Amino acid sequence: MNFTYQHKRISGILSVVPANEKTFLEEMRNYNFPEARSRKLMEVMGYGKHRLVEPGVCVSDLAVFGLQQLFDRGLLVPDEFDALILVTQSPDHFMPTTSSIIQGRLNLKHDLFCMDINQGCAGFLIGLMQAFMLLEQESIRKVILINADVLSRKVSPQDRNSYPLAGDAASITLVERDFNAPIIHSNLKMDGTRNEALIIPAGGFRKPSSPETAVMEDVGDNNFRAQDHLRMDGSSVFNFVQVEVPPLIESLLSTAGTTTEMIDYFICHQPNRFMLQKLADKMKIPHAKMPMNIVENFGNSSGVTIPMALCFNLANELKQRHYQCCLAGFGVGLTWSSMLMQLGHLNFCEIIDYP
Amino acid sequence: MDEFYQQLAFILDEPEIKPEAVLADFSEWDSLSILSVIAMLDAQYSVNINGKELRNFKTAGELANEIVRLKAKN
Repeated sequence: MNFTYQHKRISGILSVVPANEKTFLEEMRNYNFPEARSRKLMEVMGYGKHRLVEPGVCVSDLAVFGLQQLFDRGLLVPDEFDALILVTQSPDHFMPTTSSIIQGRLNLKHDLFCMDINQGCAGFLIGLMQAFMLLEQESIRKVILINADVLSRKVSPQDRNSYPLAGDAASITLVERDFNAPIIHSNLKMDGTRNEALIIPAGGFRKPSSPETAVMEDVGDNNFRAQDHLRMDGSSVFNFVQVEVPPLIESLLSTAGTTTEMIDYFICHQPNRFMLQKLADKMKIPHAKMPMNIVENFGNSSGVTIPMALCFNLANELKQRHYQCCLAGFGVGLTWSSMLMQLGHLNFCEIIDYP
Repeated sequence: MDEFYQQLAFILDEPEIKPEAVLADFSEWDSLSILSVIAMLDAQYSVNINGKELRNFKTAGELANEIVRLKAKN
């Protein structure tokens, strides 16, 4: 389905990553694989280092730290925003919403629309769409969109399918009205029949965590994980991206009456370098227009990877002028979405370490 | 399909692969190779076969026949 949004812009992005950094090489011995094979995997997929929270660190810790920085540096005034959207799949608690926890910890005003959205790799786009809709209300002047996940805490360190690419992070995106902003186009598709491609089987109400769900199992391919751990069917996800994402973006561009040549940057969710290279090649997009370096530097932090890719690769450019950008997120649900928007003249665009 | 066997040999790090070769016998027939094969089939033959299906082919020749069949269907 297609959407359009008028008079909206992003005015700043701050990304927060845990200071704790680990490398694929030092973790290689946790995996039950010949070293040569692991090295080949590292080269092909583009694994390097990744950022992981210390035990006990939660989504609200990263978010509160980032927001406090923005307040302290005068980049954001607490009373100027009227909605706080948090997109996460690793909330502090099942209840209450983590956005309310953030509101409380920072003593934010009561006239604030707090909302959690459970979304993953397409979560930046889904969050933006919600922010745009809230901004249709006169009483909502600015929206804070927070994407944050600490999913490394749910990934088995002995699962070479998933652990090397795990990454934790948060991003804070300021969204506001701008009557000079050009129209924003987006599209979105979902397929719940494939919901088990990315799943944490236990720990919810369907299958509560128990001593049995914590038992490490040999899941084939020399990988070990428990029912409490995140499970990704890597080859199905890869197939899904190859089949579904190119037509999605082509349809977006044709609806908007533009072409790949007219786009300055394609900023996609960052599952790994391999998948993004194949996607770029299939769509005949020059690699220079599509950043692919987030997993090898920080890990895949789910919905945070698009803001991270912007902050890591384009911070200076995006502070100075406008660029025509195509964003695309795809993953858990399954969900796939793309968005065409002008990005630029940002008041802030950077990555900071927590703590 | 000579090109297919060459590409498969490259992915599995073997000098050559014959149609009767049993895929599971190769030490490198793992998730990484499977992903590489999925990507190769999509890029070169516009054929999509998922990982689970790939693991069901016993020999390289059976996989080659399926590619020919799927390509004819396209």
